[in-house]
Amino acid sequence: MENNDKILFGAIVAVFLFFYFLPPNSEWFNNAVLSGLNLLSDYAKQHVLTCLVPALFIAGAITVFIKKEKVLKYLGRDSNKVIAYGVASITGVILAVCSCTILPLFAGIKKRGAGLGPAITFLFAGPAINIAAIFLTFSVLGYKIGLARAIASIIISILVGLTMALIFREKEESGKMLLEEQKEEVPSIITLAVFFGLMIGVLVVNGLQIDAMIKYTLMALFTLGVIALVLLKFKNHLAKKWLEETWGFSKTILPLLFIGIFIAGFVMPLIPEEMVEQVVGSNSLQGNLIAAIFGTFMYFSTLTEIPILQVLILKGMAQGPALALLLAGPSLSLPNMLVIRSVLGTKKTIAYVSLVILYSTFAGLVFGAL
Amino acid sequence: MKIEILGGGCPKCKMLEANVRKAIDELGAKAEIVKVTEISKIIDYGVMSTPAIVIDGEVKAYGRVPEVEEIKKWVRK
Repeated sequence: MENNDKILFGAIVAVFLFFYFLPPNSEWFNNAVLSGLNLLSDYAKQHVLTCLVPALFIAGAITVFIKKEKVLKYLGRDSNKVIAYGVASITGVILAVCSCTILPLFAGIKKRGAGLGPAITFLFAGPAINIAAIFLTFSVLGYKIGLARAIASIIISILVGLTMALIFREKEESGKMLLEEQKEEVPSIITLAVFFGLMIGVLVVNGLQIDAMIKYTLMALFTLGVIALVLLKFKNHLAKKWLEETWGFSKTILPLLFIGIFIAGFVMPLIPEEMVEQVVGSNSLQGNLIAAIFGTFMYFSTLTEIPILQVLILKGMAQGPALALLLAGPSLSLPNMLVIRSVLGTKKTIAYVSLVILYSTFAGLVFGAL
Repeated sequence: MKIEILGGGCPKCKMLEANVRKAIDELGAKAEIVKVTEISKIIDYGVMSTPAIVIDGEVKAYGRVPEVEEIKKWVRK
């Protein structure tokens, strides 16, 4: 608990100092606070119920009902390489992986599974392609960039993995990975398909540009369908586990996200538009590169890249650099790099980071030009 | 008896540690509790999903947080 106490003390001192030196009745401060609150209110009204909440339930369901082993066996030593890369690149969607599970899985795939390439693909794709992030991107930032993010993340994850595999030919290690089936009865595939289909349906319908009455009626119907399904077809303890996992995700993600939204809104009136426009305002090589580099080093807690990007775009950031930031942001951060280094070693980590920057910049340039 | 708890700092790993300590206390058993956070050591046990619990070198559970009662059963054996 000592470490936590130190952090808490530091935070209290920082907050105190901030308010101590704050000039009274400062207009900029009041504007900033209002802006932060407005952005939060925006999100609460437009995105929380229709996008975030269903996504959290889906993430919880993925954790409970999709068996890791069934997916991970495609990432084993003897599996087809093409399949390995493919599966690795969409694992973020299939396995709701929290950031602490990603690392052991990554190390396992690298040393005892399909190897460095697919492992790197997994490492990048895990955080980059999660259901909540993709749908929230669609919802907040729009179709084009949401779609671009999803597609580019998958492609880049595979490219980075392949490139790394080509650059560093690795020797395989011996030893197996523990992948026994954990015996837990889950509902039939059809039930699960309908279950997930209805929940994803809520997210998809929300994104459609149709008459509001129809939209909300459909979403309500789907939701009722999910509830009915769970009550009728799911064993009690599984349903309970689902709710617990959903709550677990909510606890981890939502507080930081709300803080992030507030900070993004708070900072918005303080950022000079000229600076944003000058640096990342056009689809230039420089703009994309800076966005990509910023993304790789900056830490974004889950989903916070979205409000931050929203503010930057409002301030004049071009679409290309915006995509570059979206791609490079979630998967990497400075603290994250240090942990990766403990598994990969310095040389490979530098290679990995450089490749992410390179491909994200390129993706941004291409998208910005469309 | 050596109980190793494999995992980084995520909440599930902390829960596992709490459950282990509770089990030990309730049984009044003597056990050395070691936290393993280094990825390479975790992989050496063949474990890919944390948290995991290893008792006297044998992996008892991985990828989930076992209940106190379960842990007690393993400790008693």
